[in-house]
Amino acid sequence: MLIKRITIILLLSFVLYLFIISIANLSDIYNSAGKDFFADNGFYDTGSLNLVTAIYLDYRLFDSLFEAGILLITVSGIMWISEYNILTKNAPLMLDKQKTSELFITFSRLLYPIMFLFGIYIITNGHLSPGGGFQGGAIVATAVLILYYIDISKSMDVNKLLNIEKILFILLVSIAFISLLTRNEVFTNFVPLDGSTELKSIYLILLNLIIGTKVAIGLIAIFTVFLKEGR
Amino acid sequence: MNPILSFIVILIGVFGLATSKNIIKSIFCVSIIEVGTILLFLNFGMYEGGSIPILNSIGIEIVDPLPQAIMITTIIIGSTITSLGLMLSVKIFHHYGSIEWKTVLKRDI
Repeated sequence: MLIKRITIILLLSFVLYLFIISIANLSDIYNSAGKDFFADNGFYDTGSLNLVTAIYLDYRLFDSLFEAGILLITVSGIMWISEYNILTKNAPLMLDKQKTSELFITFSRLLYPIMFLFGIYIITNGHLSPGGGFQGGAIVATAVLILYYIDISKSMDVNKLLNIEKILFILLVSIAFISLLTRNEVFTNFVPLDGSTELKSIYLILLNLIIGTKVAIGLIAIFTVFLKEGR
Repeated sequence: MNPILSFIVILIGVFGLATSKNIIKSIFCVSIIEVGTILLFLNFGMYEGGSIPILNSIGIEIVDPLPQAIMITTIIIGSTITSLGLMLSVKIFHHYGSIEWKTVLKRDI
């Protein structure tokens, strides 16, 4: 037991030594050429002041598509692994109202519209200020999950949520493919490269809205399945 | 903030993954590896005095936006992987009646 742990520590320190050697000349493997390129061309290519949004919605949209696909596959996997069948999944929730304090319920009622609006603000302003589809979707999901504490009699149809998410993913891929007709290349902005930046931001807002809705619905579905599993 | 420190965080996660006796603790260790990866990537793009990568005012030196854009996807995928692992552990608990690796694998760790 002890020998095994000492062996693991020795192996890991050897890996750390290899890492320190490889990181010694950092300027050989990493320089600021990419940063300068994004700072010079990012706004005119994509119409986004937020360069992170410019990368994950335009330059590297392929990554974001697979990320959205992984979220969809994981939600379906969790619902498939879960013990109960569809009929029991749609049964009303068993959150005990006696255990939730009245103070928390009252303040949640005041707070959840503000959280909802703030999430939508972050999604729609993702190309101008910090934020975007992924972060705003998480905030919207949190605002909807607070509703479970306020009114336990309402429940969500998990199967319908999964169907909406599938439709949104198909919409996302088809919008990403429109640029094949206008720009002659896939997975980029459908406004031509010499168009104005205001026109280009239409595409960014549209894709941020779809990704935000998709992330919010995915997180709500995951939480609902866990809540019903824990009865 | 040093890349070596964030790599040590990753190695702590690997050590915990190799020695932990509980399935929940193993899932925590996967999360620790993920956090170390995020720190490592953000260290590469970051330098002293750089501002956030938003071009609101002209003439400001920004940090590299590429690692941040990649790490957004890492955070979402990490949360989904954690929830998938927790759901699998619930299933394992229903089947074996325990979430110790010793009982599940029937051997000494």
